[in-house]
Amino acid sequence: MTTRKSVFVLILTFVTQHLMSQNVFAYLDPGTGSYIFQVLIATIVAGLFAIKMFWQKIKGFFLNNFFKKKQG
Amino acid sequence: MIDEANRLKGSFRDPSGFVFFKDNTLFRSVSHLYRDNYDHLIQSGLYDKLVGDGLLISHREATIPVETEKNSYKIIQPEMVPFISYPYEWCFNQLKDAALTVIRIQKQALAYNMSLKDASAYNIQYFKGKPILIDTLSFEIYKENQPWIAYRQFCQHFLAPLAMIAYCDAILSQLMRIFIDGVPLNIASKLLPLTTWLHFGLLTHIHLHAKSQKRYQAKGTAIANSKINKKSLTALIHHLESAIDNIRWKPAGTEWADYYDDTNYTKDDMQHKKRVVGAYINEIKPANVWDLGANTGLFSRIASDLGIDTIAFDVDTAAVEKNYLQMRKNDEKKILPLCLDLTNPSPAIGWANEERFSLAERGPADMVIALALIHHLAVSNNLPLGHLADYFSRLCRFLIIEFVDKKDSQVQRLLLNREDIFLHYTRQDFENAFGSYFSILKSKDIGNTKRTLYLMKNLGEKYNVSGWSKRHG
Repeated sequence: MTTRKSVFVLILTFVTQHLMSQNVFAYLDPGTGSYIFQVLIATIVAGLFAIKMFWQKIKGFFLNNFFKKKQG
Repeated sequence: MIDEANRLKGSFRDPSGFVFFKDNTLFRSVSHLYRDNYDHLIQSGLYDKLVGDGLLISHREATIPVETEKNSYKIIQPEMVPFISYPYEWCFNQLKDAALTVIRIQKQALAYNMSLKDASAYNIQYFKGKPILIDTLSFEIYKENQPWIAYRQFCQHFLAPLAMIAYCDAILSQLMRIFIDGVPLNIASKLLPLTTWLHFGLLTHIHLHAKSQKRYQAKGTAIANSKINKKSLTALIHHLESAIDNIRWKPAGTEWADYYDDTNYTKDDMQHKKRVVGAYINEIKPANVWDLGANTGLFSRIASDLGIDTIAFDVDTAAVEKNYLQMRKNDEKKILPLCLDLTNPSPAIGWANEERFSLAERGPADMVIALALIHHLAVSNNLPLGHLADYFSRLCRFLIIEFVDKKDSQVQRLLLNREDIFLHYTRQDFENAFGSYFSILKSKDIGNTKRTLYLMKNLGEKYNVSGWSKRHG
């Protein structure tokens, strides 16, 4: 399984465990769930974005310092 | 004076202001409540940036009538959009481009320390060939750590219908007609195939989002402590953008998209038909044209290429899609393809059926073109010619209409497996029916076909006063 897929499955498990184990009652406030969910998901995607940026930096560092030197 | 009679009935949701008509001109009143937000929009440079990028409708500030000073901080006069269309009339890529426009606007807004406080698809209109935000009062000053208020609305108005078109069926765009505030996410989640759980964007913003809505719907949970920093909010907007971007739909195997390859015309007949339609349009020089049953817009472009605002309606979403993609590719500004089932045209919907207008309420058009259409309505849909003439007379001042005789092979095809109950579908009956509502100015047989092109003028009194075209164009 690729790293990307593993991260995806981990997130999926975390979020679904967190959200789906609750009982469902009648309609009251349709905005509340969206609002709270947004905070959760924004934090996750921001985290993923940070990891992606960090990974690219590391990749860039190795590519620039080793791969190019080897080529040269 | 701004009174209730002049106020647009659909303009009640947002206390920031409202839209009204005065002397046939559209104005927007900005309330004192919205003062700081309006000033920030203008003074921060966001307004200029968005107008410059073609993302927001431009406006000029008008003089405030003395009697309304108490209620209005400003009165603005926005540039007029010639035709208001609705999301359930858009093809897939029109809805997608509208969604991406909202995202672009929200990104810009955040850069100028503002945020969109709503993300209604009805606030986006097609203007000069591009989607544009028409609600100048949709912005609020960004409050540190505040989530995006319009997140749920964006998912319901854009993401859910796009996903349903792409992964279920194109006809499900019509759900927007039933649900005025967008497709409820629990319904979208229920109808979307299981494979969409593997699409990260749809998994999060539709399926899990719907679960979260369910979880909290019965609880009086306070949301004051729910905070997102700007970085996370920006990441969320980017994520929504990529979710939208990754939804793709390509029409296949539909009835009309290859229509022009499946006609019974010869090349010469087609050229003749084009010439006659062109001559009729040139003779009238209408202020605007609605082409009903336009298919991919071959004849609509005779009008739009002359600089006439033209709406190309068709029932087949694939044909509208093709037309839109061609329009977008060629950067055409005068043609707007839209989906419309003429046997069940867009009705008035919303509160008191007054929030969104029916097709007829958005007219009448200066000219309607109805080519190769009447036999489908009369034969396939059993509509009596009198009913057709009556409805067309409510839609337009001038009419170019093609009568297709029963001997025509396309009509024969419609009658192939059914009894011919259409004893009153003759050229004479057609002329009698339409003659009750229109005066027939011209008629021309097309080449060697069994078809005749008519140019007619509405007999209604209101269409026959001087300056009509100027006022309604």
